[in-house]
Amino acid sequence: MLSLLLIFMAALFFTGIIVRTKSLASGRKGPGILQPIWDVFRLFRKGAVYSETTSFIFQLAPTVYFSSVLMAMLVVPFGRSHGILSFNGDFIFFAYVLALGKFFSIIAALDTGSSFEGMGASRESLYSMFAEPAFFILMGSLALLSGHTSFQEIFSSLHIGSQISYAMAALATFVLLMISMIEGSRMPIDDPKTHLELTMIHEVMILDNSGFDLGLILTAGYLKFAIYGALIVNLFIGVIPFQYAIPSFFAIQFLMAVAIGLIESFMARFRMSHNPQFIVVLTSVSLLIFFGVLLILQKFI
Amino acid sequence: MEILFDAAILNGTILITLLSFVLILALPRRLGFSITMLAVLCNSLSTSWIAIHALIYQPLEFTIRFGNFAGEVLLKIDGLAAWFILIINFTILTGFFYGLGYLKSYALSGSKFSLHRIMFLFFHLSMLFVCMIQNGFAFLVVWEIMSLSSMMLVLFEHENPGTFKAALNYFVQMHIGITFLTLGFIWVYHQTGSFSFEAINTYFLSNQNLWLFLLFFTGFGIKAGFIPFHSWLPHAHPAAPAHISGIMSGVIVKLGIYGILRMVTFLKSDFLLLGEIVITLSIFSGIYGILNASIHRDFKRMLAYCTIENIGIIGIGIGIGLMGIGNNSPMMYYLGFGGALLHVLNHSLFKSLLFYSAGSVYQQCHTKNMENLGGLIKSMPKTAVIFLIGGVAISGLPPFNGFVSEFIIYKGLIEGVHSASISQIILFVLSLAGLSLVGGLSVLTFTKAFGTIFLGQPRTKLTHKPAEVSLLMLVPQYLIITVMVSVAFFPQVYMIFIGNILSLMNPLRSAPDILTGIAKTTSLVSLYSLLLTGIIVVVWMLRSLVLKNRSARIGATWGCGYIAPNSRQQYTAKSFSKPLGKIFNTVLIENKQFEELNHGEIFPAKKSYISHYQDFFEHFLIKPITDRLVFSANYFSFVQNGRIQSYVLYGIVFILAMVFLTIFNIVV
Repeated sequence: MLSLLLIFMAALFFTGIIVRTKSLASGRKGPGILQPIWDVFRLFRKGAVYSETTSFIFQLAPTVYFSSVLMAMLVVPFGRSHGILSFNGDFIFFAYVLALGKFFSIIAALDTGSSFEGMGASRESLYSMFAEPAFFILMGSLALLSGHTSFQEIFSSLHIGSQISYAMAALATFVLLMISMIEGSRMPIDDPKTHLELTMIHEVMILDNSGFDLGLILTAGYLKFAIYGALIVNLFIGVIPFQYAIPSFFAIQFLMAVAIGLIESFMARFRMSHNPQFIVVLTSVSLLIFFGVLLILQKFI
Repeated sequence: MEILFDAAILNGTILITLLSFVLILALPRRLGFSITMLAVLCNSLSTSWIAIHALIYQPLEFTIRFGNFAGEVLLKIDGLAAWFILIINFTILTGFFYGLGYLKSYALSGSKFSLHRIMFLFFHLSMLFVCMIQNGFAFLVVWEIMSLSSMMLVLFEHENPGTFKAALNYFVQMHIGITFLTLGFIWVYHQTGSFSFEAINTYFLSNQNLWLFLLFFTGFGIKAGFIPFHSWLPHAHPAAPAHISGIMSGVIVKLGIYGILRMVTFLKSDFLLLGEIVITLSIFSGIYGILNASIHRDFKRMLAYCTIENIGIIGIGIGIGLMGIGNNSPMMYYLGFGGALLHVLNHSLFKSLLFYSAGSVYQQCHTKNMENLGGLIKSMPKTAVIFLIGGVAISGLPPFNGFVSEFIIYKGLIEGVHSASISQIILFVLSLAGLSLVGGLSVLTFTKAFGTIFLGQPRTKLTHKPAEVSLLMLVPQYLIITVMVSVAFFPQVYMIFIGNILSLMNPLRSAPDILTGIAKTTSLVSLYSLLLTGIIVVVWMLRSLVLKNRSARIGATWGCGYIAPNSRQQYTAKSFSKPLGKIFNTVLIENKQFEELNHGEIFPAKKSYISHYQDFFEHFLIKPITDRLVFSANYFSFVQNGRIQSYVLYGIVFILAMVFLTIFNIVV
């Protein structure tokens, strides 16, 4: 329950902070932190334009996408407190529920019959497919390390102490951060601010969405970032009491948003053909974590 | 008394089949349909009754006479057999009724139907008996009847040379498979002097298990479609009529799995090594199958490759189960085999569903190339929704049934991660990554297929305007969806039966607390799938409420500034999966034929571009072997010279040889 509230609160500010960081870095003042949320509210109040090519899939998809993110949010724990749902193997459920949302957002893009949106759909499905093994190897190694199989038990029994485990936590943060960049269509993979449809991934998929549906998609995107941020926070807080854990949650979310803003300010997007290589690298980083776990457990003789 | 009654029922099914064979031939053709329907109904209902009986109460055993050579043959319907019998009967029934509607468009070519009906009956009966027979010799005979009758069913459109070639390919590969099985049974016979399955048990008790099991695994694996024995599937499935492809992919392939599981029940040692082999092979089957599925544009071939992927997933379950026995871990045993058995059921449901709906598309549009389709959701909305449900389910996504079985198999893998030896840990973690890759790829595959066939705008102008198919074809599909939903939301019911089957399969490992634990987790998963559906419904209702009084305009798709788009400019299936094909170009071999634009060619003439993907194993493994075989066989072509005189001579030489060899006691 706690995690749900915290994720909602973090989602309110997260994108605003990214935008603000980018503005400051480029020497502008920038909009207020809550501007993205006002944008969403404005969208919720608007009517919509639908393409004549589309079918009911196009109208249903944003709902499914948003619901899948909500559902994924329910299994994320916060330190000692469970997510609303917590059961053995919930991280599999997490990944697959998010995949359901992606399935629908991809077919919605194909529903418009636009070549650009089809292209975005193709890229989205390819990149998210490559990110799956990294997540599963990461969670598998953490399950091995902790001896448990649910998010809450895994995170609350991670023993951060030895030097190797610090290195591992750093690597795991890197992997989760990068997965969140892929899922959230952020800089090194995708450039949300580009003006050319050919170079977009996520943005080009939702070109035809408008009004309420677009609002749902944007909200889901904000929530997704906060969810991955919460997972990263969970790597560190373990069983720390709440009076320290909650401030550190916001601190880490803030740092993550600033980091993303800085990355977007000072980096260019990778070439599209290099993206798969980059994402596969994540899998090998996950394998490093796995070997680290084997080292800690002294499975190597 | 009970047993006598059941034996009478089984004999009755044989009698019914033979009788309807005669009747279909003898009576006027228009009665053929009713006779077939009656026979199919009788056979499936009666055997289902026996199977349910066996599943709920206890295994049934009885003997029937099987010719002079094998004599009295033991038939046994235990839980494993009953599970497969029920799956067979359900798929056969839906396939039969769907087929009635599907074959209507072939009504002009009436003469084919009698053969098709007779073969359908034989095919059904032989599959049922494959699950029951406990004698190697009789098993091979029935197995062969099954292969031959299914080949005849594939041959329905025999005037098409492609179909003929595919059927021949199937025929040859099935016989390579049966050779392995025959070798296995003869090996056991040689060692123990008996063809009965009990003899395999005694063989395994006293000899090394590894090689004989691998022999059987190869034989059954050809039927099941593990790589590199898979190459018949992508040929035979697209060639067969839709209801037959649905049944073949739904059940025939599963009988290979049945055979493997039956052999597993006799295994006595080498569990760990075999488990590792099976898991590794299965992971590669899964990834290879779905990679190929994702690039092919013939949607029936795509579904055939996807079958290979699902066989891989089932195989992972079997491997986990084997390693569970080896590690003495009942948890892994139940999760592995339980997941495999549930996935067998699930796959038979959604794969037949997908083949049926793909068949509906083929019937209406007369093309299997998704590149020529598009926008069918407007003209065939029901088929589109059915295909979408099948696609989401087969990608293993919640809230459908595919997720439940994949979740159980994932749980088995994670359970394996906690094992002691490092080699197993590494295997399981890599399998976890492999399975997740398979999941991601199947999302890509089915978004591509659904998106290109049903969404967007029609890419070509079809000669006949497609329309929704008849109710007769839709109802069997609704029925399948109902069962799928029941598996998705009440998996614990199915898991109880599977638990019973598994504890009877290996009574040593009976662990009721673990079973209830698994049933609880699966029911939790289904509950959360229900919750997900609930959330979707609530959000949808909120959306409708908010949008009730809002304006909604209809306009053209945003063309990014371009105002004259045409439907050929839509993203194609080929371009959708092209980046993937490029990344995996070592396995996905693309053959391209095109002429480049010459330098200084100011007025280019019309050019063509052809590209198709080749099967890696067929190209690099099977083709070189067959090429060399054909090459060496050429040297003996003088034997087959077309002169009757020489053929008579061969006969005489053979007879003389036999006579002299017997006289001189060389042949006894």
